[in-house]
Amino acid sequence: MSDLSTSFRERAAGALNDRFLKQALDIATTKFLTLRRDAFGQFPEGEALRDRARSIKEATLQRLDQHLERLVANVEAHGGHVHYATTAAEARDVVLEIARRTGARLVVKSKSMATEEIELNEALEHAGVTPVETDLGEYIIQLAHEKPSHIIAPAIHKTKGQVADLFSKELGGRFEADPEVLTAVARKELRQKFLDADMGITGANFAVAETGTIVLVTNEGNGRMVTSLPRIHVAVMGMEKVIPTMTDLMVFLAILARSATGQKLSSYTTLVRGPRQPGETEGPEELHLILMDNGRTRQIAGALREALYCLRCGACLNVCPVYRQIGGHAYGYTYPGPIGILLTAMLKGAASVKDLAHASSLCGACKDVCPVRIDIPRMLVDLREQLDRKKIAPWSERMVFGLARRMMVSPSLFGIGAAVGRIAQRPFVRNGRVRELPLFFGQWTRTRDLPPVASRTFSERWKDLDRA
Amino acid sequence: MTTRAEFLGDIRREMAKTSGLFETRPVPRPADAGQAAEVVRRQMLERWPQALERFREEFERVAGVFHRVARLDEVPEVIGRIGRERGATGILSWHPGALGVDLRQSLGREGFSVAIAPDADPDAGERESHRTAAATADIGVTGVDWALAETGTLVLVSGRGRPRSTSLLPATHVAVFGRDRLVESLEQVGIMLEALHVDPARTMSGAVINFITGPSRTADIELTLTRGVHGPKEVHAIFVEER
Repeated sequence: MSDLSTSFRERAAGALNDRFLKQALDIATTKFLTLRRDAFGQFPEGEALRDRARSIKEATLQRLDQHLERLVANVEAHGGHVHYATTAAEARDVVLEIARRTGARLVVKSKSMATEEIELNEALEHAGVTPVETDLGEYIIQLAHEKPSHIIAPAIHKTKGQVADLFSKELGGRFEADPEVLTAVARKELRQKFLDADMGITGANFAVAETGTIVLVTNEGNGRMVTSLPRIHVAVMGMEKVIPTMTDLMVFLAILARSATGQKLSSYTTLVRGPRQPGETEGPEELHLILMDNGRTRQIAGALREALYCLRCGACLNVCPVYRQIGGHAYGYTYPGPIGILLTAMLKGAASVKDLAHASSLCGACKDVCPVRIDIPRMLVDLREQLDRKKIAPWSERMVFGLARRMMVSPSLFGIGAAVGRIAQRPFVRNGRVRELPLFFGQWTRTRDLPPVASRTFSERWKDLDRA
Repeated sequence: MTTRAEFLGDIRREMAKTSGLFETRPVPRPADAGQAAEVVRRQMLERWPQALERFREEFERVAGVFHRVARLDEVPEVIGRIGRERGATGILSWHPGALGVDLRQSLGREGFSVAIAPDADPDAGERESHRTAAATADIGVTGVDWALAETGTLVLVSGRGRPRSTSLLPATHVAVFGRDRLVESLEQVGIMLEALHVDPARTMSGAVINFITGPSRTADIELTLTRGVHGPKEVHAIFVEER
């Protein structure tokens, strides 16, 4: 989903002025961070497991075609159907065609970023099929016609009072602003939807090639409901989610929940292999797995290759000084935060992140917490360079940085630059900082200041020392 | 529509362009999964008491309620007590063949309505009536395939006589297990799952394996932890000492 009626600058400014949002973000991200830190603090083997997880992801990518072939063969061997979608539109069409063929009218969904990415709900509604989000946070924002603001806590921007008003209005009744009460309301409302639904739609956290198993990780149990009760199960998955074996799966399970919520394991990890098997009382009649490309394949040999390792845990959001200030909505696309910028560039092209690529201080905190150690800052720098090379960045910015580059690599130009700067900066130095530069330089100093050029530069002082 | 050949063709074309990738060591995986699983079982013959202690500690940390009985025939009594304390009327259980104990007589006498999952291939009618029983039961009673100590997790494999929703739809889930179900680590569970999938008898089991770590929970409203959003509000584990 994208909100592009406004610029990133406007959305960010709006978020910064929203005092409740800032407070909610601060509480949520601080809490997640603390839980994560404690979880890994009590888990000394965690660091080695992160290295192993990273190398499993890399090894899998190096043989991606073979692993996908195994996955497909094993899903089919257990009675599942596999579909292939090069684009988001194609993925939507596959789902709509299954719904049409099976006469599905009511769809229950467990939380899935892949289906957000392809804007599946709008397509289903358009085709006369009713999609119901069943993750509590997603349910709240669906009722409110809003968008998720955090990968794993989609409704952190709403107060319990707002949720109570929303439920009262949409579901009829008068509900107290108490999370316990509101959760019970949602339980009752959604339980009936699970039982009535024709189709369940999920994403997939992993798919195990050697067994043909789709893996779903949830805390609420909605993933289990959606894959147990309706007669059709459709899983939409980016094809990079495949991993080779059950042994590998255990490595990821050990670090995924710890990174996301600080739990040792989430309440439910559900391994699904095929539709209802002979002798079983429950389970869908049909299982469909949609393998989706949507821009991922071209990054196998691209600059964003490492972003294909991402587990969608959300840890890099919580730790990011930019995300912590502006929240998920300001990014404007399905995937927010540091990894979100890279994923957006992957799915929508580099030009779509010409502003977002700069929404990072490159502090490196995201790389430090990433369970598979994705080098997000390096890829952000690469993206910025690409935007410059392809002349997508504004000309003023390209000119200023082009000049700066030339000066930085030439000692004589650097010396001249320092001499000129020392004089030119005079009108703009206040309280020992350079502020409010004129012309387009002002874009830099509008939200930042600069240290002034020193009265004597380091190299000048070094020469003095040498003489002495 | 994209075909399998086109989809994989696109991927292979991009893979051919990659160069200078860092070398990765293949992740060690048991060469003979059945044998590796046997080694774990033998280790646990000695180490189960420590594993049980750890399981209890971790299970209680995720809000599980732990019970311990000497004999299997004491299990109905514990379930009856849990039921009475919660004003429960309907109990749904895995088939006695999968659970190891038949609750119909004992708990039926106490006034509970006890439904048992079918273990023969159920027809559409039986499946429908089971679904109704599952949706209305207050307590669901299951066995356990592995009790994972380091996380307090119950691992349940679905299949004949062991429906996946018994541990999901009722507000209270009660799981019954013995010492031979205990494992220490996720790594050991990985070995057991590798062995399960190469076992030809696995074709007899169902489609779903669930790792259950405490009750259903959410923190989606103002990060306030709330239990029982879709699945059970309570999870009980009854450990049976006799072998």
